[in-house]
Formats: sequence, C-alpha cells, structure tokens
Amino acid sequence: MASDMRSPLARASGLGSAKSGPGHWRAQRLSAVALVPLTLWFVASIITHSGGTYPAFVAWLRTPLAATATVLLLIALFYHSALGLQVVIEDYIHSRAKFAAVIAVRLGCFAIGAAGILATLRIALG
Amino acid sequence: MSEHATMIITSSDQVPRATLFKRFPVPRNFGVARESRIGLGKAWPAPPGASRIKSFEIYRYDPEAGGNPRLDTFEVDLDDCGPMVLDALLWIKNKVDPTLTLRRSCREGICGSCAMNMDGTNWLACTRFISDMDAPATVYPLANLPVIKDLVADLTHLFAQYELIEPWLHARSPEPERERLQSPEERDKLDGYYECILCFCCTSGCPSHWWNGDRFLGPAVLLQANRWLVESRDEAKEERLDNLEDPFRLYRCHTILNCTRTCPKGLNPGKAIADIKDMMVERQG
Amino acid sequence: MPNPTARRPRPLSPNIQIYRPQLTSVLSILNRITGVLLSLLSVWLVVWLVAGAAGPRSYAVVREATTSLIGRIVLFGATFAFFLHLCGGIRHLVWDTGRGFDLRSIYVSGWLVVAASVALTAAAWAVGLSHSAG
Repeated sequence: MASDMRSPLARASGLGSAKSGPGHWRAQRLSAVALVPLTLWFVASIITHSGGTYPAFVAWLRTPLAATATVLLLIALFYHSALGLQVVIEDYIHSRAKFAAVIAVRLGCFAIGAAGILATLRIALG
Repeated sequence: MSEHATMIITSSDQVPRATLFKRFPVPRNFGVARESRIGLGKAWPAPPGASRIKSFEIYRYDPEAGGNPRLDTFEVDLDDCGPMVLDALLWIKNKVDPTLTLRRSCREGICGSCAMNMDGTNWLACTRFISDMDAPATVYPLANLPVIKDLVADLTHLFAQYELIEPWLHARSPEPERERLQSPEERDKLDGYYECILCFCCTSGCPSHWWNGDRFLGPAVLLQANRWLVESRDEAKEERLDNLEDPFRLYRCHTILNCTRTCPKGLNPGKAIADIKDMMVERQG
Repeated sequence: MPNPTARRPRPLSPNIQIYRPQLTSVLSILNRITGVLLSLLSVWLVVWLVAGAAGPRSYAVVREATTSLIGRIVLFGATFAFFLHLCGGIRHLVWDTGRGFDLRSIYVSGWLVVAASVALTAAAWAVGLSHSAG
C-alpha cells in the first residue's frame, strides 16, 4: 500500500474506539449459561425417547415442561448462534461483504428460530 | 536443558515437544502472498573435523538482492559454540555466513531483542537451549510480521498500538512535593505486568492478531493497558477503558491463550485481558 | 506495513503455516468449528419440529432420514461436536469468572474437556441405542 502515507499511530488508531463491545459479550455469555441446562435436558429427552412413535413425540411435546423448554431452547440457541457466527464472520471477512453477511446470518437465525418456535407451539397447543 | 513438556504444562519454559502435528494441516503456502513464499535456500556444511553437528534451517530474506525469502540449512559445530540458539546463530554469523542478520543485545533474556520463532513457537533465542530443539532445528522470524531482513521483523505497527494505549501516567491532581504515594498492596497489583519486556512473542503468536492485527491490539499491548488500569496513581481509568471498549481493539480476544503459553517471562496476558473484560462489565452496573 | 523508502513490499513472516499447534490453539479452533457445525445442524432440528407440526407423514420422512446410515453417522458426529462445544463452552465460562488462567489449570481443564466429551458421547450413544433397541 504505497499510497498509505499515514503515520504508524494514525494507522493503528483507525476510526477510533466504537465504545461498544461488552453488550455483545454479555449477551453471548447469558445465552450460553441458559443453553447449558436447556441443551442437556433436550439431549437427554431425545436419548430417552429415541425409538418412539409419532403420537409419543406429540404427547411429549404437549407437556408444559417440554413445550416451554423447547421454545426457550430455540430462542437461546438461535440467539447464541447468531452472535457466534457474527464474530466468526467479523474475524475472517474484512471486505464490505462482511456487513451483508452479518445481516444475512442474523436474519436467517431469526427466521429459522421463529419457524421452530411456531412449529413447537402448533404441536403443543394444536 | 529445560524440562520437556509433558501432557500438563505448568510453566511456559517447558519446551513444546514433538506432537502429532508440527504445524496445522494447511497447505504450505496457505494464504501466503506471492512475495512472501519461501523458496529453496543454500546448504552450508559443517567445517571439517566437527564431530557434534546439528542442522539449523533458517529463514533468510535479502531486501537488496530482491527475490523471495528462502530457507537456508546450516550445519553447526556444537562443540564450538555456546548452549543457546543465539550462540548458534552468532557462531554461524562469525564462522560461516556473516550476512545472517538478527537482533540481539543482553543475551540473558531481559531485553527482548532476540525474540523469534524456533521450532514453531515464539521465544527468546538467548534462553532457548539448542539441546531442546528438534532435528533439524527451524528458526523463523516472529510470526506474521513484515520482514526487514533475515530474522529481523518490523515492529513499527506493534509499537504504534502500544502508543495508542498511552502507557504513561495520567494525573490531573496537583503534583505532590515528592512522590505520588502508593501502598505496598497497591504496588503488588503491578506484579505480573511491569515485568513485560515488550518482546512481542505473545502478540506474534496470537491467531486473532494474525487475522485482525490492524485493529486488534494484541496481548502485549493489552497486558500493558491492564498495567496502567491497575496503577493506583493513575487517574484516567475512564478514558483508558473508553479507548479499549471496541469490538476489535479488545474483543477480538477469544481466549485462545497461545499468549500465556509462549511468554518467555512467564507472564499471563490472557488473565490480564480477562481482567480488562471484567472491568468493562463491572462499570456497566 | 508500508515502508516509504522500499520499492517493493516486505514479505510477511509465516504464521499458521509454521506455528506449532498446541492444546491452547487446537481446543480453541475446535470450539469454533464445532460451534459453526452445530449452527448448521440446528437447522435440521427445526426441520424436525416443522415436520412434526405438519403431520405424521412428514415426521416419518424426517425420521427415516435421521435414522438412515448417513443420518446416524452425522448424528454421531453432531453428538461429539455438541459435547466438545458444551464442555469447551463451560471452560470458557469459568475463564470469564477470572479463574483457571494459570498454565497448569489451562492444560488440566483442556484435557478434561477432551476426556469428558469422549466419555459423554459414548455414554449418550450407549443409552440411546439401548433405548431404541429395547
């Protein structure tokens, strides 16, 4: 970059501090803490119900515990996913495409999470 | 001879021993720009009559000759030089190839000049025993830095990042008659931070700094930032934390912890950065 | 970095091409890789739920795919990825409290994560297979 004649300090300063960062960090940790019990419960349920029939699956998901926990799991999971994937994209993509990629990932997680929640509620309440 | 690393490392001077992989399973020239590709180098045989010989593969680059960097192989007579890698490098410079260029000064692990990558990890050449090195030993400059010549890396950007955190006392209170006072407990808080020799082994070994080094400050600079944040005589905590509160400057640290593993002074940049993140959260409520 | 007096750019010293993999960096990148994989696999979780909401026939199709040979192989990998990411994540949460940063703790906790992930994956599949068989 022979055209970049800034001083080393100017180059290191960039556009300055964004004054943000702890919010994202806390949200990631909060969703992580929620996910520990929720995923363990979910995996345990899958394991103990494996081999079951469709009516058994519906009956299980209709119980208030399973319905609530599944909805909470989907919320925490897709939020945690969106935050995590955003960090991965920011790490490796440095062009303008980065912003589009982050938006796409966030919207995708929201959409797929919403679909999962609606499906769960349909089974549980329908 | 240092204690060789076993499965559990208790201090950073345990030399990494040969593991399943000597390098990540990526192509040799993965993501390497054309001008950085390393070509085949020269072979420099041992002098006649040498009995204990060790091969050293050393990264060479001559900015005046042009061309690409290359890897030269030198056979060193171990009976004719001291026990440290720096001794071997200076033996090569004195007896075989005087153009081999490197930084060095104190030869006792306190100045940080001879920081380089040996057998895949960053350390000081003057405190790394030759007997702990692989066969052949490989010597590269500090990772992911522009190379000025041979083993001399350009640290300009790293020092600019250091200047960015303003590593000096900020105090608006009127100057006292004599010293600004500090209790022994307050002074103890500086232990583990003031000893940093700014060799940049840690920053150069941080994958996050490899991919985002233009904006991420890196472990060395952040350790010093913490040094000034815990300095009881400093009065600019707010401004210092504001300066660091950035998704790239601080939060590109993902606690990879290569830094703590590689520090030749046994310091803990990973812990220092965790303390800064803790302050960030604490000041929010 | 630009050098105003040089006519050509300086080469960059090698980084990932030569840096030695260590427990620190290997477990860290595994945590990231498993995270990304789990994000992709969670789409299948939603597919399963949506199929369940659509009715017994859609559910049967998804179930068939999941219990096929390829499905089971993927599921086994997913279980291992899940436990690695879970144990690695808990290790991260412990670091976030400020504990466990000395080198000895880093290495002990690291190997514990590997051992626990293998053990939990084996246990989960042992229990799961016995349930679907019995």
